[in-house]
Amino acid sequence: MSIFQSINTSASALTAQRVRMDVISSNMANMDTTRGEMVDGEWQPYRRKMVVTQPQGNQFSSFLNKAMGSSSTVDGVKVTEIVEDDTPFELIYDPDHPDANDEGYVAMPNVDPLKEMVDLISSTRSYEANVTAMNATKGMLMKALEIGK
Amino acid sequence: MKLFSNTINNLEQALSQSTTKQRVISNNIANVDTPNYKAQDVRFNNALSNEMQKLQANKTNNKHFDFGSTSSGYQITNRANTNYQHNGNNVDIDKEMTEMAKNQIHYNALIDRLSSKFSSLKTVIKGGN
Repeated sequence: MSIFQSINTSASALTAQRVRMDVISSNMANMDTTRGEMVDGEWQPYRRKMVVTQPQGNQFSSFLNKAMGSSSTVDGVKVTEIVEDDTPFELIYDPDHPDANDEGYVAMPNVDPLKEMVDLISSTRSYEANVTAMNATKGMLMKALEIGK
Repeated sequence: MKLFSNTINNLEQALSQSTTKQRVISNNIANVDTPNYKAQDVRFNNALSNEMQKLQANKTNNKHFDFGSTSSGYQITNRANTNYQHNGNNVDIDKEMTEMAKNQIHYNALIDRLSSKFSSLKTVIKGGN
C-alpha cells in the first residue's frame, strides 16, 4: 500500500467529477442543437449524455485479496461509460425551421436545463468535498515528515 | 535495557491505523455519487479478538497462505444501519467529513507524541545539553 493511496483515491474522484461537469457543459451547450447526428440521411437532435461511475477495485484481484483477509479493496472511483438519455425529443411547432418535418414540427434535444443545473451543483459540491479530503491527507503526510524533528 | 520502550511501537501502530482510516474515508467521499456504492468502515481488532481468531494449523509448505484472518489488526466492513439514497448509495457526507476532521486531529496528536518522545530521548542522549 502506497502512502499516496488516499491522495490517488481523491484524485480519481476529482477526475470523475470533472468528466461529469464536462458532460453537463456539453449538454447545456447543445440545448438547442437540432443536428446532433446523422441517422439514415436525416439529422437527429442532440441526445442528453450521462456519466456512469463505478467504484474502482471490482476486479478479480481485489475480490481475491478481500477473501484472503487483506484489505486493498478500496481505491477510488472511475467513469466506466457515457450513456445517452432515452427520453423522447420534444416537438416544437416552428414551420420556418430548416429541420421542421412535414407538419411543421421540429424535434428539440431532450436536455432539461433544470436537471443539468442540479447535477452541476451536486458535482461541484462533490468536487469540493474531495479537494478537502485531499488537503487533509496532504496535511497528514506533511505532518508525518516532521517526525523526529 | 531497551532504549526504545513500547511507546514508539504503540504510536506507530496507531499511526498506521489512522492512515488506513483516512484511506477509507477518502474512498467513501470519492464514491459519494456512485450508484449502489456502500460506505465502508474500519474496525480495529483488539488483542483479544486477534487471539480468538487464531487458527491452530500447520503449514506444510511455506508458500501456503497464512491461516486465520488479518494480521494487520483491522478489517474493512460495509456500513450497515444507514438509509439509502434513491440510487442505492449510503455515503453520509456529513459523517464522513466529521470523521475525517477527527481522524486528522488524532493523527496530528500522535505525531506530536512521537516527536516529543524522540526529543526526550535526544535530551537523554545529550545529557541534558
